[in-house]
Amino acid sequence: MPLISTDALTKRYPGGVTALDGLTLELEPGIIGLVGANGAGKSTFLRILLGLLEPTSGRASVLGQDVRTGGTSLRRYLGYMPESDSLPPDMTATDFVGQMGRLSGLPAAAARERAAEVLRHVGLFEERYRPMGGYSTGMKQRVKLAQALVHDPRLLLLDEPTNGLDPAGRDEMLALVQRTGTEFGIAVIVASHLLGEIERVCDFLVAIDAGRLIRAAPLGSFTERTGMLAVEVEEGATRLAEALLRRGLAATVDGRTVLVELHDDRPWDLVRDAVAELDLPLVRMEQRRRGLEELFR
Amino acid sequence: MSSPGSIYDLGYQGYDGPRLGRLPVTLGLLRATFRAAYGIGRGGRAKIAPFVLAGLGLLPAVLAVGIAALAAQAGAGGALAEASPIRHETYQSLTSTLIMLFCAAQAPELFGRDQRYGVLPLFFSRVLTRTDYALARTGGLFLAVFLVSVVPQVVLTVGGILAAADPLTGFSDEAADIPRYLAVSVLGAAMLSGVAAAIAAWTPRRAYATAAIIAAFIIPSVVAILVAELAVGDLARIIVLLSPGDIVDGLNAAVFGTFADSPAVAASGLPGWAFVVAAMLGIGGLLVIIVRRYQGISG
Repeated sequence: MPLISTDALTKRYPGGVTALDGLTLELEPGIIGLVGANGAGKSTFLRILLGLLEPTSGRASVLGQDVRTGGTSLRRYLGYMPESDSLPPDMTATDFVGQMGRLSGLPAAAARERAAEVLRHVGLFEERYRPMGGYSTGMKQRVKLAQALVHDPRLLLLDEPTNGLDPAGRDEMLALVQRTGTEFGIAVIVASHLLGEIERVCDFLVAIDAGRLIRAAPLGSFTERTGMLAVEVEEGATRLAEALLRRGLAATVDGRTVLVELHDDRPWDLVRDAVAELDLPLVRMEQRRRGLEELFR
Repeated sequence: MSSPGSIYDLGYQGYDGPRLGRLPVTLGLLRATFRAAYGIGRGGRAKIAPFVLAGLGLLPAVLAVGIAALAAQAGAGGALAEASPIRHETYQSLTSTLIMLFCAAQAPELFGRDQRYGVLPLFFSRVLTRTDYALARTGGLFLAVFLVSVVPQVVLTVGGILAAADPLTGFSDEAADIPRYLAVSVLGAAMLSGVAAAIAAWTPRRAYATAAIIAAFIIPSVVAILVAELAVGDLARIIVLLSPGDIVDGLNAAVFGTFADSPAVAASGLPGWAFVVAAMLGIGGLLVIIVRRYQGISG
């Protein structure tokens, strides 16, 4: 049984905006990255899976149940972390997560216990007894993750979980997402507009643009296509590019940087040799992903 | 994870215990709403308004019972009980302003918060539907208001029984009034909390909601009095039946078989059943307005 399967799933908002356009997908459990530019339809897709939005046409099922008819019995096993702020500032994290646990069907005592446990898992300790109005963005994101995990869901839907976080906070949140998927054994869908972030944690990638499916494939096959070696030299970028072209590599010049397409490990050695041969002052070599826009071209 | 907290980490545990369905979850939200209406589980400041208003509503009943007990000891119990203005049939009009203030103070908190702080998506993606949510919130507010209305009546009943020379005769004196005040409290609390809930559900901003609820209680009753003084016609009757406070007043008079307290109600000459019907239609209509609010709202 696939985790999620959709068939020609379409959502048109009143006013004519088409957020999802005939999306057909079949996804197996794992950490699934849902990537696309802002407005590509990522949030709409998640909200349809949760039953928060009705699709205009087409079909979607989660954990083997149709999202239109699965209703509350299906939602017992789903956890949702929305993109927007969703925490009442006058409540403590403990009270809030406990209440959300009860609303997911946990008996009161179990909800209290699980709330404490799950807040510890996301790294909130003494702070959890304080009103959430005084929390940093990082703490708020952790509470939002905790409330999605409190009832031990089978599928976690995260909408831009690193939004508003500083680099350290992003790393911690991504590590938490990864642990949730691997150690906790919960299937995860992470929606993000940042391919560079999402590819660090997921093992399957779904790319959508303007509501259409661009590609759904294991992460490895994406990076193959998108790999790029950036070679920055103090001078002589043009000479380097010419030398690399002679060696049979697809190289282009961008200012002081030469971009080389990376399909296998071969270019690394060839670049090293070419730089040494021309005696160029090498500043750095790094593997780059192409931007999302290029991925969608 | 790099956080220092990970040293305390005992590993993630799954949950294999029972998972409740829609009905217990909805009732749980109703209970939480009831508690929140009294500020229980919130900070101390959240308790001030509800407890002060409920306490003021209880005060006349406590005083009446206390004075009756003293008078009974002095041998003047019967005469005082006849003359006391604090009775089952007058209590509704005595405390209706407090009940309206309670609604205006608490309904915006219960209905507006979830919308203001964007919590609705978290509710609607859980084990209850949008309609369940609307009914649980409304039911919690109703129970809180019902308590403000009915507890003083119960105090009067208990006081009346205890002050009587013989508890059994005391009870038989009180017995007839118990279903009456229960009926008035249920319908009155449903009517007034329904108006407040309907306005608060559509008005996320707290201050606006409070002002609008007070306006909805006061303006029709003032207009009703003005129109009634000019001429008692169908217009005056319609306005009286659009005024939540006057409906409850007329209802109270109908149930207890007494004269209405509000001059507009008295002047309207409407039969008692008109107020009962108006209350029931009003409550039903308000429920529809509240439930419909949450069907369309983005969540």
